[in-house]
Amino acid sequence: MRTGAAATHHGYYHEAVRYDCDDELLAVAVPFLLGGVDAGEPTFVALGERTGGLVRAALPAGAGVEFLPGGDLYSRPAATIRFYRQLLAEQVAAGAGQIRIIGEVSPTSFGATWDWWARYESAINHAYDDFPLWSMCAYDTRITPPQVLADVARTHPRFATPDGRHVPSPTWTPPADYLRQPLPVVPDPLQARPPAVELTDPTAAEARAAVHKADHGQVPVDDVEDLVVAVSEIVTNAVRHGRPPVRLRVWAGDDRIVTTVSDGGDGPGDPFCGLLPASDGAPGGLGLWITYQSCNHVTWQRDGDGFTLRMTAGNPYTG
Amino acid sequence: MISSQRRDAPGGHICWSYDDPESLADQADRHLAASLAAGERFWYVTPRPSDVVAERLRTRPDFATAERRGAAAVVPLLSTYSLDHAVDPAAQVAAYSSATDEALAAGHTGLRVVAEATELVRTPTQLDVFTRYEHLIDRYMRTRPFKAMCAYHRPKLGDRAIAELACMHPQTNVEDLLFHLYAVAPTDGHAALAGELDMSNHELFRTALDRADLRPVDGELVLSADNLRFLDHRTLAHLAEYAQRRGATAVLRTPRPAVARLADLLHLPGIRVEVTQ
Repeated sequence: MRTGAAATHHGYYHEAVRYDCDDELLAVAVPFLLGGVDAGEPTFVALGERTGGLVRAALPAGAGVEFLPGGDLYSRPAATIRFYRQLLAEQVAAGAGQIRIIGEVSPTSFGATWDWWARYESAINHAYDDFPLWSMCAYDTRITPPQVLADVARTHPRFATPDGRHVPSPTWTPPADYLRQPLPVVPDPLQARPPAVELTDPTAAEARAAVHKADHGQVPVDDVEDLVVAVSEIVTNAVRHGRPPVRLRVWAGDDRIVTTVSDGGDGPGDPFCGLLPASDGAPGGLGLWITYQSCNHVTWQRDGDGFTLRMTAGNPYTG
Repeated sequence: MISSQRRDAPGGHICWSYDDPESLADQADRHLAASLAAGERFWYVTPRPSDVVAERLRTRPDFATAERRGAAAVVPLLSTYSLDHAVDPAAQVAAYSSATDEALAAGHTGLRVVAEATELVRTPTQLDVFTRYEHLIDRYMRTRPFKAMCAYHRPKLGDRAIAELACMHPQTNVEDLLFHLYAVAPTDGHAALAGELDMSNHELFRTALDRADLRPVDGELVLSADNLRFLDHRTLAHLAEYAQRRGATAVLRTPRPAVARLADLLHLPGIRVEVTQ
């Protein structure tokens, strides 16, 4: 049994909230959350520190709303999806008829790493559609760049407004279409320099060694090891499923290691690749999903020369 | 988290791939010297008692002296291995066990063998049986004073057969071999996994694991991976499946937390990763 605006909806009811001031955020969030609690629905907040604090203060004490650590939750999109899918499955298993969540992508992701969050916002229309979820993604228009707001409008089927309406987004684009369109990828300034290592048609073992070579202690050990896992998978995919030549480039920055793997092929055909584990055993799907879980930023690009995947360990360039 | 002292691969069981018999003769000389210095009995086991290695050994005064007092010998291959050229792994381990006991009874500190075993792995069936034997004898070596260098003539066997043999030894001179699966002392689990495991050697690893034929104890197959440098998701999934087929959980003990993170990500039943320090 579902309630509120999503009462007759099947699957995921995905909305964006664009607010110009804090009162507008509260005007949407507070009734949404209290409505969930009143209906006995599991109700969650996954906002950042400031906005989460505002909402917490506006709710009555002991309202029964659960606060999730918003900042940590939104660090890697594939991990966010994995977390939410598990949370949602648990709630449904416990008998929930609907789950309500209000969350936000960190504003630090509105720069050069926005591309993978734009893919996230699109992919979740599919990834969460197995669940009776009503969620709102909050965007503060005072600090959100116009190109990000344009992607928000294309990736959310509708907007929740401060006056209580639920308005279809005129530029809404289904994920299978949106994710097939190329997203602009901002080059990391490190890429303007000659790479520390460049290999053509490397074996996976040579690729792993190349990453270790670029490690001068500038990145936490765990992040380096995870990048090694990712690069190994992507080189294996490129050799098995791509077209030669496979090129590996590794740059060593002061606070990060950036790696690109390119080949002459078209890249993965599955538009959800990376964000969801390939359920149909699509070639290389699991390796790409592991890569998305293992790096602090992953981009993909197709151009006349083929397909390039870029992986960053440490602090990604945010632009 | 469990703590475990980091151990290097055990010495004493080496796979030696050679192209030139003279290089094998150099190795035999080296092992003879080390063996005599350690008070062991030394055997060079060969199908042809007059091969280059045997001839060179016989020219050495230290070999001749040792031979006279029963501390060294050239032993024909067929007197130690079964006549039909496909060894019975358990019988062969028993034969070396008796030979080791005899060496100890004669006052030596143990038995060291350099064995030219090419003729025993010429067919796929022979290779399959012999690699199984290699793991069994490796297990024996972890508890008893028996050491062996198994020599194989690469031009006769080819790189693939050499890789299948070499990966079942803790040590080898084969340079492009990425992983080793070898026996450990009973207190350290069922086997050790070292090196790097990825798509390039996945099939070789599956074959090696089948041949090692690990038997669970109390529902667990414990793999000591102190010297593991890399392992991919396919290997983890295969280890889990291998253990499950044997009604057990694979327990992988490694100092690498990345392996534990990968296992968490994959939610594989049948495997548990314990991060050692």
